Amino acid sequence: MTGAALLAHGTATGPPAWLIAAALPLAGGALYLAGVVALARRGAGWPPGRLRAALAAAGCAAVALAPPVTARADTFPGHVAQHLLLTMLVPLLLALSAPVTLALRTLPRRPRRVLLGALRSRPARVLTAPAVVVVLELGSLAAVYLTPLYGLLHASAALHLLVHGHMVLTGCLVSWLLVGADPMPRRPGTPVRLVVLVVLAAGHAVLAKTLFATTPAALGAAGEVRRGAQLLYYGGDVIELLLAVAVMAEWWRRTGRRLRAEQRRELASPASDRSV
Amino acid sequence: MAPPADPRARALSGRSVGTGVLIGVGVAGFVDEVVFHQLLHWHHFYDRGTSAAGLVSDGLFHAFSWTAVVVGLFVLADLHRRQATVPRRVWAGGLTGAGAFQVYDGLVHHKLLQVHQVRYGVDLLPYDVAWLVSGAVPLVVGLLLLRGPARPLADVRR
Repeated sequence: MTGAALLAHGTATGPPAWLIAAALPLAGGALYLAGVVALARRGAGWPPGRLRAALAAAGCAAVALAPPVTARADTFPGHVAQHLLLTMLVPLLLALSAPVTLALRTLPRRPRRVLLGALRSRPARVLTAPAVVVVLELGSLAAVYLTPLYGLLHASAALHLLVHGHMVLTGCLVSWLLVGADPMPRRPGTPVRLVVLVVLAAGHAVLAKTLFATTPAALGAAGEVRRGAQLLYYGGDVIELLLAVAVMAEWWRRTGRRLRAEQRRELASPASDRSV
Repeated sequence: MAPPADPRARALSGRSVGTGVLIGVGVAGFVDEVVFHQLLHWHHFYDRGTSAAGLVSDGLFHAFSWTAVVVGLFVLADLHRRQATVPRRVWAGGLTGAGAFQVYDGLVHHKLLQVHQVRYGVDLLPYDVAWLVSGAVPLVVGLLLLRGPARPLADVRR
């Protein structure tokens, strides 16, 4: 996101744009790989699916921050494409990669204890409450796109960075709550998570159609805003579909484990309920 | 010998209906989007006459319909895994769900909240009637399929 903000406003001096863009995803990917290698040295495995998700997240972030995308971020469709990648797809892939679990397994004792404390802290519990996540996500979207804030973003690089960072982090909260690969204090059950997903997706759909209908002048020319709004609508659908699959895949694995345990118990006591 | 009356099999007949409804609603929503919005371009993405309530109802139904397909397919796979699928009830739920969605879309979205019309620049009455009939027929067939024997797939194959 640093790269996005800098690139959106052009850096005449300083390091080349592609370098800034590549640095953050590369660093994140390298850190993750280091964790997996550390586990392997101990002889412990790490699911290859999670590693693939982490690498895909780094790749998507790199694409979203790459010059061809950021060069178009001043137009509304370009901005929406970047928004979809950075605040929705990358958080989903990151959540699937379970980086907190990896950190808890590989960190030395003291930082590990700090991380555990943070996870159990009151702020963490409040921030991950479903209602709070929904209000944060939809509230931020409304604040950015339906108030004059969007216009101000392009006037101040610092504000731009702050708001983008906030939206990426909010997207991460949503994905972490829904996906369920990492530990989370009092994570709600599958039905509540599905309701959260439907409410958020409906909010996105309403926002996209509202933008299509009102075409706020701050976002750009009316035609561009309409194209961007449709990209937001359909692109958002695709990623929310993936989120629904992620929620249900976790349910499938969890109920499958329970089912196998039940079947084992039945096999262990064949006489009890098979009196045919 | 007749298979034992397993109390759990009866409970999963209800779940077969439920997963059918989810898939039915989702498929109807998907067909609406693909055929009428994308292929025929009869429906408009946004209609100037849309009220705020219409926009919210449309958004909720849109989000609900494709989430429902995903949830429905996973629950159906789970029923198969437990060998407790009742095909007749899945069809009953599917047709009821698809028909109900179609009727709701035709009455509430097209007429009451005016989210968008079936088609523009034509006499709407035959289109609206066709729309409602295409929803009412599967709805009635689905409700009829709710009656009759509910045998799980494992027995049907036997």
